[in-house]
Amino acid sequence: GRVQVEGRGCLLKEIHLNVSDLGLGYRTSEELIFRYCSGPCIDAENNYDKILLNLSVSRKLDKDSPARTCCRPVAFDDDISFLDDSLEYHTLKKHSAKKCACV
Amino acid sequence: PALAKENNCLNAAKACNLNDTCKKYRSAYISPCTSRVSTAEVCNKRKCHKALRQFFDKVPAKHSYGMLYCSCPLGDQSACSERRRQTIVPACSYEDKEKPNCLTLQASCRTNYICRSRLADFFANCQPEPRSLSGCLKENYGDCLLSYSGLIGTVMTPNYLRSPKISVSPFCDCSSSGNSKEDCDRFADFFTDNACLRNAIQAFGNGTDVSVWNPMPP
Repeated sequence: GRVQVEGRGCLLKEIHLNVSDLGLGYRTSEELIFRYCSGPCIDAENNYDKILLNLSVSRKLDKDSPARTCCRPVAFDDDISFLDDSLEYHTLKKHSAKKCACV
Repeated sequence: PALAKENNCLNAAKACNLNDTCKKYRSAYISPCTSRVSTAEVCNKRKCHKALRQFFDKVPAKHSYGMLYCSCPLGDQSACSERRRQTIVPACSYEDKEKPNCLTLQASCRTNYICRSRLADFFANCQPEPRSLSGCLKENYGDCLLSYSGLIGTVMTPNYLRSPKISVSPFCDCSSSGNSKEDCDRFADFFTDNACLRNAIQAFGNGTDVSVWNPMPP
């Protein structure tokens, strides 16, 4: 395939958290590994992104500010389940990144 | 000495979710075991049982046994033993609308190839022997724990009872046994009052029988 040299700064990182740290309102003492995408995508930008940048600098787009290349998950981790303090199970889908790219 | 606050069953669940394989297969059974399929059925029991069998097949004993056989201070009413009871999602995998007679349940197990062979393994490997130090005829706790966990996901799926000491049972009883009362009690007692199985579970929970999850080289 094609060698991809763009977006080298956009990486998969992970952090060990309590499920309650996620801020989703669950009361449980269970834990998880949360994986996320982070890093610059400047070297992956194309003419479209450069034009957007130029147009926003020259204020030709009125109030629009379209997003430029972002470091985002392109695949998600397996689901995770946990038991809460009232002995009820919960399953989270698409909660954690598996693969990252500049998109 | 372990602190009173220490919850071994919670610690085992934490360890599972930090391990990619255990996390994946845990959620792969909890999902079908907690998804309502219709107003009449709380879940698809067949799918729940299948995913539970996969969990115990695929996940290393260190993690799967860690959750199933975690030790709790005194059986009842603690957050620890309730969590241990919830390991197999009993509302779906265990409980039913009616509680059958144990011999009727055993007959239905015999009609299924997987259930029949796993029940035979369990009776062979967890046979009590009061004269042996281990409490077991075959002095191998690992084989007993393996064959007990093998029943999970069959119609004989056992679970912990709310009892002060470790006691397990499939979802059945010996009421309306008629002339077979003795046979039924003998069958039920093999689960509820089995010193071999109880010692095996306790040894794993206390970490005294290391060979269970770390088999000796041949």
